Amino acid sequence: MKTIIETQKLCKTFSNGGLQQHVLRNIDLEIYEGDFTVIMGASGAGKSTLLYALSGMDKPTLGKVIVGDSDITKMNTDELALFRRSNCGFVFQQIYLVDSMSILDNVLSAGLLVNKDRKAVTAKAKEILKAVDIEEHLWKKFPTQISGGEAQRVGIARALINSPKIVFADEPTGALNSKTGRDVLDALTEFNNKGQSIVMVTHDIVSARRGSRVLYVKDGEIAGVCELGKYVPDDKERHSKLSDFLVSMGW
Amino acid sequence: MEKIILLAKANFKKNKGTSIGLLLLIMLATMIIGIALLTFTDAYPTSRTEAERLNAGDGFIFISNNLTGLDDETIGELMEDSVDHYEIFHCMGYNNISLPFGDGELSETVVMYDSRIFEDGKGGFKSDKNAAAIDRIEVVVEDTSITENYLYLPYQFYTGGGVKLGDDYTFEFHGDKRTLKVRGFLNSTYFGCNNNGVYVLILDDDNYATISERDEAFAERVVVNYILKDGVKDSKFIITLQNDILDVNPHAIVSNNNIKTAIGNRSFISLIIAISLLVVIFIMMIVIVMMLASCISNYVRENMKTIGALKAIGYTSSNIRASLICLFGFIAVIGSVLGICFSYVFMPIIAKIVVGQMGLPYVVKFSLFGTVISVGSVVLFIFALTGISTAIIKKIEPIVALRNGMESHNYKKNRVSLESSVLGLDVSLAMKTLFTNMKQNVISFMVIGFCVFICVIGLLMYENFNRNPKVGILTFETSSGILAVDIETKDVAIEYLEGCENVSNIRNMIQMFLNYNDEETLVTYVLDNVENMNNKEVCYKGRLPKYDNEVAVSGMFANNYGMKIGDEIELKYGSNTYKYLITGYIQTCNNYGREALLSEEACNHLLDENTVGAYLWFDCSDKSQVNDILNTFADEHGSHVISTMNFDEILDANMTTFKGIASLMLIMISTISAAIIMLVLYLLVKALIYSKRRDYGIYKALGYTSRSLMLQTALSFMPAIILSVIVFSFVSYFGANPYMSNIMVMFGLMKCTFNIPIPGVIIIGVVMTILAFLFTYINARKIKDIEPINLLVEE
Repeated sequence: MKTIIETQKLCKTFSNGGLQQHVLRNIDLEIYEGDFTVIMGASGAGKSTLLYALSGMDKPTLGKVIVGDSDITKMNTDELALFRRSNCGFVFQQIYLVDSMSILDNVLSAGLLVNKDRKAVTAKAKEILKAVDIEEHLWKKFPTQISGGEAQRVGIARALINSPKIVFADEPTGALNSKTGRDVLDALTEFNNKGQSIVMVTHDIVSARRGSRVLYVKDGEIAGVCELGKYVPDDKERHSKLSDFLVSMGW
Repeated sequence: MEKIILLAKANFKKNKGTSIGLLLLIMLATMIIGIALLTFTDAYPTSRTEAERLNAGDGFIFISNNLTGLDDETIGELMEDSVDHYEIFHCMGYNNISLPFGDGELSETVVMYDSRIFEDGKGGFKSDKNAAAIDRIEVVVEDTSITENYLYLPYQFYTGGGVKLGDDYTFEFHGDKRTLKVRGFLNSTYFGCNNNGVYVLILDDDNYATISERDEAFAERVVVNYILKDGVKDSKFIITLQNDILDVNPHAIVSNNNIKTAIGNRSFISLIIAISLLVVIFIMMIVIVMMLASCISNYVRENMKTIGALKAIGYTSSNIRASLICLFGFIAVIGSVLGICFSYVFMPIIAKIVVGQMGLPYVVKFSLFGTVISVGSVVLFIFALTGISTAIIKKIEPIVALRNGMESHNYKKNRVSLESSVLGLDVSLAMKTLFTNMKQNVISFMVIGFCVFICVIGLLMYENFNRNPKVGILTFETSSGILAVDIETKDVAIEYLEGCENVSNIRNMIQMFLNYNDEETLVTYVLDNVENMNNKEVCYKGRLPKYDNEVAVSGMFANNYGMKIGDEIELKYGSNTYKYLITGYIQTCNNYGREALLSEEACNHLLDENTVGAYLWFDCSDKSQVNDILNTFADEHGSHVISTMNFDEILDANMTTFKGIASLMLIMISTISAAIIMLVLYLLVKALIYSKRRDYGIYKALGYTSRSLMLQTALSFMPAIILSVIVFSFVSYFGANPYMSNIMVMFGLMKCTFNIPIPGVIIIGVVMTILAFLFTYINARKIKDIEPINLLVEE
């Protein structure tokens, strides 16, 4: 499989009042094209920090993050913004839609950054919104006027509008109830099945089952990797393989 | 109390930028109030306080031309019924002497004394040496090392005329050219400012003796200073005295000035400046008050979570409000104290504008009243404003505050839909920001608008008092040159001028004082050919007089006495009276709207014009020839020439002070406007970025660059700014003249239209728009500090 992100000796250290906290320690990692990579770990293990470092949202203290031929750790803030614009899509736990914009405009505000063809971008946005089950009558509503699940699916549509190389999802179901959470996971799975690479952080085993590859982060290091293959609903063997892996990791 | 102070300290640390911005605004506000109070209570009244200090009395009369029969005793007898105290002085006097001043020459009546003036109050010519000195002439500054061939000049030559101690000063009168060293400068109530038309020069004894010996026959003058008895009306006294003097000697020419007119003339420009300054200050105060109110309410909004947390842990609303009042009170005290200190630092610059042009010595003094009022009013205002703005805290439930406040935007319409917008992405998003922040738009609209207005006022003053002086309202008539000759030489002079190449429109215009109803004296201009006047603007309503029974009078005078065009008015000169028909209203900013205009034929009903000299005004198409024309005639006819005047040079000199003031005003107004725009935009942009920091974090996560977001922020301010510039450019263009007219009416200008150059207004608008954009863009650099990662970590 083709590697789309590679890290070399990735370290992240936070300083607080003279005390240094090593959150990521010498992580060497590869993310593959088309994978649904799940990052799991206990609270404070460094899983979100790893996600931000991989996506260029945060700069590591040491080490490299290579995307294609570029080491994104050497990019400045604006270069990182341009990198994220065309390579990454983000789905946040707190959703983070812009409240003053309609649903459609939230998606277009990301799409028009990359493609100036307004008609083409609008058509694609509508197509994706339909694909994540956001009905047309909601497009002109504002984020505060729709449900959390709907808003998160709008977030997914926004993440996908530029056909990014990879979608980063940080606890995308964390703020949702089980039903709406499942809808969001279904949407992500569906796009992954169509070839979209996804990296998702979660501490929820139900969400983790959607991954084709599960990385377990412990004390700032990759403690283990579980290869699950493509998600198949109600595959008990697959579920128990993941459970066993997590138990072995001390989860 | 301790916990309130702790809270106040914590609030300050958390909001350093806003606190410092507020401190600067408060400082600016106090500084402006301080300057306004000092200007109105201390600087502007200087002409009055100095007159009182110099014991200027109620006025003076000046007798010239022919003094036969008018000895001191006779004059004393004529005045004794009305005057409580008087002093009579004999001096040398010359009409229309050209005095180098600034860039040109002033043409003024001059009285000359010698050094004996310092020995007994008013000089060796004082008739009654035992009398108390009225209207003392005081040396402001002198160089006593200069002991011969010297003169003292009025202090205005130092403050506005560019003359320094020790300079060689050359002036010419009656064919006599003298160069004397400047030994000192004088402070004189009636003879110290060009606006009053008479200057005093004090010469060393030798020079004075030479001049008086030579010119005594025709240049001796009598100056009478007086203090009226209680209840005697000055105008009536003057008219009676004038008539009595003419009864004794019909060839004597009597002119006068009273204390009210002298002070008014002297402070004419100061009052315009002071009132303009007051309006500017008033507008600025509105802006500052708006900004303070906005800042404090933003402050409360921005700290909503903290307020919620404090309430949750047991702080009462009163504790929290007290801490904010304590904080803002502290900022107000520090800011206002700094502001009042700065007002004393900048006051000398304002004083130079307001007092310097009057030719009066002035030192900025500490004013307890001004200081206490400035600081007190600002501090009290801030306390009240904070009290009102923080009242909302009482209503905030902790849980609501913790959810970031009570405000929840209720978006009803998706403005500037990205799907259908024809604008670029950055501009479309900027327009969305615009529609979601109407408060910012209203404030920037008003602030920019006020700044445009005051800049246009500054431009108007610069254009009309500096670049293209509006001569028509400053002088009664304009020309290229004036040749004043005695009556015997009148015909020769006319013939000479008619023979000169490039000379045209020769007309004789003399000035005389006519009385109305024994109550008012009108400065009356008599022209042999009224239709040939260049300054047609002088008549703003009706028409100029044509026939021998017609007169045009000042609009202000006519208003005061309820006279209308077509009414009859009886004018008096000595014992002669004549009824004239009013044909129109005239105006200049001289003589407080007490002027009239007659044709030569009309004047002959009151005075035989052939008894006075001729003042021949002429136009010359080649300005460079004017001096040659005048000098050639003066060389040929010597003492028959009363004076020669190059009008443009005289105008330049007269305008020197005005020009300086106008430039300084424009610079000051522009600088203050730029400072206000910068400060206001700093606070608005800061508040906007704070309220949109979450959105900016999201945009950055999506891939928007800092520059793009800075551009969006700057663009979001531009529609309100551009609209304001357009609207207020029109308002200012059409409103500046009525505004100035309201001021000018005090000086007898009933209707004036100042030129406002449209390119200048456009430049102001464009520069202001560009500046506002740059300020906004630069202030928006704080967006660079927003990291999308913080958005994620915060939650």
